[in-house]
Amino acid sequence: MSLAVESQTSKQLKRAGLTALTFLLMVVMCVPGLWVVLSAFRPNGEILAKPPIWIPEAPTFDNFRKIFGLGTDQVAIPVGSYFMNSLIIAMTSTVIALAIGMAGGYAFARYRFRGKGSIFLGLMLFRAVPGIALSLPVFIIWSKLGIIDTKIGLIIVYVSLNVPFTIWLIDGFFRQIPLSLSEAAQVDGCTRWQAFWKIEFPLARSGIAAAGVFAFLTSWNEFALASQLTRSTSSKTLPVGLLDFTAQFTIDWAGMCAMAVIIIIPALILTFLVQKHLIAGLTFGGVKG
Amino acid sequence: MPFWRRESATPFLLLTPALLTMAFVVIIPLVFSMYTSFTGYRLVKPDSLYDWVGFRNYARILSDWEFWVPFGRTVLFLTVVLNVEFLLGLGIALLINRITWGQRTLRTIMMFPMMFSPILVGFQFKFLFNDNIGIVNNALQSLGLSDGAIAWLVDAKLAFFSIAIAEIWMSTSVFAILLLAGLFAMPRDPLEAAKVDGCNAWQTFRHITLPFLMPFAYIAMAIRSLDVARAYDIVTVMTDGGPAGRTEILWTLIARVGYDNSRMGMANAMAYVSTILSILFTWYFYRKLVAARRYMGGAQ
Amino acid sequence: MAEITLDKVVKKYGAASVVHGIDLEIAHEEFVVLVGPSGCGKSTTLRMIAGLEDISGGIVRIGDRVVNDLPPRKRNISMVFQNYALYPHMNVRENLGFGLKIAGESPDNISKRVDEAAAVLGLTPLLDRTPAELSGGQRQRVAMGRAIVRRPEVFLFDEPLSNLDAKLRGQMRAEIKKLHQKVRTTVVYVTHDQVEAMTLADRIVVMRDGRIEQVGTPMEAFNHPRTTFVATFIGSPPMNLLPGVIAGGAVRLADGTTVPVPDRLKPHARDGRKVTLGIRPDDISPVGHGLSQDGPGAEVDLTVELAEPLGMESLIYTRLAGQEVLAKLYGPRIVQPGEQLTFRMALDRAHLFDAETGQSLRLD
Ligand SMILES: Nc1ncnc2c1ncn2[C@@H]1O[C@H](COP(=O)(O)OP(=O)(O)O)[C@@H](O)[C@H]1O
Ligand SMILES: [Mg+2]
Repeated sequence: MSLAVESQTSKQLKRAGLTALTFLLMVVMCVPGLWVVLSAFRPNGEILAKPPIWIPEAPTFDNFRKIFGLGTDQVAIPVGSYFMNSLIIAMTSTVIALAIGMAGGYAFARYRFRGKGSIFLGLMLFRAVPGIALSLPVFIIWSKLGIIDTKIGLIIVYVSLNVPFTIWLIDGFFRQIPLSLSEAAQVDGCTRWQAFWKIEFPLARSGIAAAGVFAFLTSWNEFALASQLTRSTSSKTLPVGLLDFTAQFTIDWAGMCAMAVIIIIPALILTFLVQKHLIAGLTFGGVKG
Repeated sequence: MPFWRRESATPFLLLTPALLTMAFVVIIPLVFSMYTSFTGYRLVKPDSLYDWVGFRNYARILSDWEFWVPFGRTVLFLTVVLNVEFLLGLGIALLINRITWGQRTLRTIMMFPMMFSPILVGFQFKFLFNDNIGIVNNALQSLGLSDGAIAWLVDAKLAFFSIAIAEIWMSTSVFAILLLAGLFAMPRDPLEAAKVDGCNAWQTFRHITLPFLMPFAYIAMAIRSLDVARAYDIVTVMTDGGPAGRTEILWTLIARVGYDNSRMGMANAMAYVSTILSILFTWYFYRKLVAARRYMGGAQ
Repeated sequence: MAEITLDKVVKKYGAASVVHGIDLEIAHEEFVVLVGPSGCGKSTTLRMIAGLEDISGGIVRIGDRVVNDLPPRKRNISMVFQNYALYPHMNVRENLGFGLKIAGESPDNISKRVDEAAAVLGLTPLLDRTPAELSGGQRQRVAMGRAIVRRPEVFLFDEPLSNLDAKLRGQMRAEIKKLHQKVRTTVVYVTHDQVEAMTLADRIVVMRDGRIEQVGTPMEAFNHPRTTFVATFIGSPPMNLLPGVIAGGAVRLADGTTVPVPDRLKPHARDGRKVTLGIRPDDISPVGHGLSQDGPGAEVDLTVELAEPLGMESLIYTRLAGQEVLAKLYGPRIVQPGEQLTFRMALDRAHLFDAETGQSLRLD
């Protein structure tokens, strides 16, 4: 009797412990980002206040207005241009990487050919070259080619940065689709090309979208290469631009937080949309060989 | 039939664009980088690109503490953060696997740090660890745990610690999410068989769960190994190698030597060392992954 | 007219050859079953006919066309796959109509023919469901519907029933047979299940290790197996094979037991020839409990090792000349292990094979 009671309470204790741990985990995960987001809506004075003001007392959009140059009191940093540059560079490189990655991923998923394993490994190993190490020769070559400090120069780099991983993910998604579906379609009268677009592509669509989001965010977030290959307002991206703030003598914390929010938001939304497929793609492509 | 019309040529045709971009953006630059590392090239003196110096750059860096200290620090940093990330990730995965509500929501939340720009993570922690206005010091002071402001990013040891925290915060999710996927995919039968065979909870974990999870851990490691150099972004924004070079890592050193001091030849030699290091690291875990996969395939 | 001719067809994967030069002629509207153990090259052969696999050597003709270099869509065939290969993102109606749509048929025509095929297979109430919402048997039916709706000249089936449970498999077997009687087309059907082969086929093709072992009607294969392989593969439980030597018009088994050679095989039974004696379990029965009491025979005393009562008959495991032998007892009698019984071997259906080549002596 008492034993049963004891195990009952120990069970409850355990559950309470688990809940507490989970809660702690979530706090650690969320608070840093949340604090930055909250600060983006505070006037600078409130950020510098001592003792700290936890909940914003006078929430304001001024910081955003300021960095986009809309208010009277402007920041000298062209965040609007950076935003557009980031968007153009990330989108273009994603579209191209997806096209290339789809062809490559399909080749790996559907064909046997000589050197398959080595080519796949080779792609991964080249992806492993640290950005800053790669930036040195690319910097010199791009200068000679005249595409240094241009959007196109960065797009080319990002395409190749994204191709290996896009292939890894898309290979996994195509492999999940039984080969016999494509064969059935070919028996039903399709060419291989038609079978791909009518059967395999629609079935892999959400996975391909996830790969696209991953590529987009990789480009959107990249810093090491962008910081060396772009210099001017016409090509600098948001992560590089963020550093403009620290270059000044007094750090404009409020402005930086507002800019951080602008970088975070697409990441949050896109991650949320595709997280399920992304996890499936990462594990499937890896485990099922 | 010409080569490109044959069925056996199709996969190569499909792979051509991928291989071409890789060749143009990675292979050619790497070859060029290799060449440059044997010259005394300085950005400010374009002619020095043809100034062949043989192994002088390598000889210099290999005998220079200015290189070996950041090198050692990088290896130490990676060893510490990767192990902590793995253990924490495993703990988190087991935790989330145990709770019965909100699993998917938690998983989604965990996904976010992974998708954050490292530069943003760096900035975020620079903000939190700021000695004057940072929330960490403020919280410690309000709780009465410390009286003065702790100089998180100024003291060499604390700065290293703060950077490691930022890195761990950003990347633990990679392990947690993939190991959690492994736990979700884990078949129930072996667990039950182990229980029937008389294993206790720890033995079951040690002999059944953990071996099953290892391929997932290797995927995580392989993925992480592709972007360990993102630590460059974090360090750049948090301390930029300071104070006085005490948080300098291999990658910030390369940037400093190459761009700030414009000694490109030397920087390329260093870059080569770091590239080889990264490639070996990835290769090692990829091999582990392939081996584990084969062994799992055998069990099923 | 859609007869199919395979002429010395070879399939190689790299250096490894998996189909070694198959010759086969399939007549118009014939139902041919390729049967053999798993891995013997049945699917590979079928897929070469379908155009899903390159042909490494030889010629495949459908009708009067050589189809070696034609893609599947130009061969006027349809195929039912082992896992059905239904398009998961389309409902049943779209699955059935897909081939017609690709062929550019008018929507009216498509819906008319889809409705017809659905009616034939009893799929009408399921037309708006997706494959995920169907049971195994229903999926199987949709796969067949997709094959018939296009009215091809040739149907190809690759183990279409192997994912179904035993009861459903029997049912669907009958339906396939009926379907073939209704829409008379040439059928090539692959299975590893000899019961399916026996019940469905006009002619069966027994394959082994990439070669054809025997071609014939099911009864030919059952009654006149050309080799020990066919003898054991066709028929269940399998034929007993006992090694022995011809001595004085009889087969002497390892333990000295002699079994007289039936008259029809006498011309091939040279003294001293090493042979394998083949007798089906149905032809070894305790005296008085067999199928036939007259005709040539031999009697032996054997000990029952195990008996499996099946109702009106029992399967008896016993041992002759050091080898396990299966026998059948007809009638509702219970047999105990250890029981000594006199068995009669009915020899009018016994077989003799050459011990070395495994070929039936009849073929000398
Ligand atoms: N892509 C391939 N590469 C190499 N060998 C193969 C391939 N596909 C099938 N085989 C081999 O060919 C043989 C015949 O296979 P298959 O026709 O599928 O046999 P089954 O009679 O069971 O249908 C098998 O031994 C198989 O291992
Ligand atoms: Mg098969």
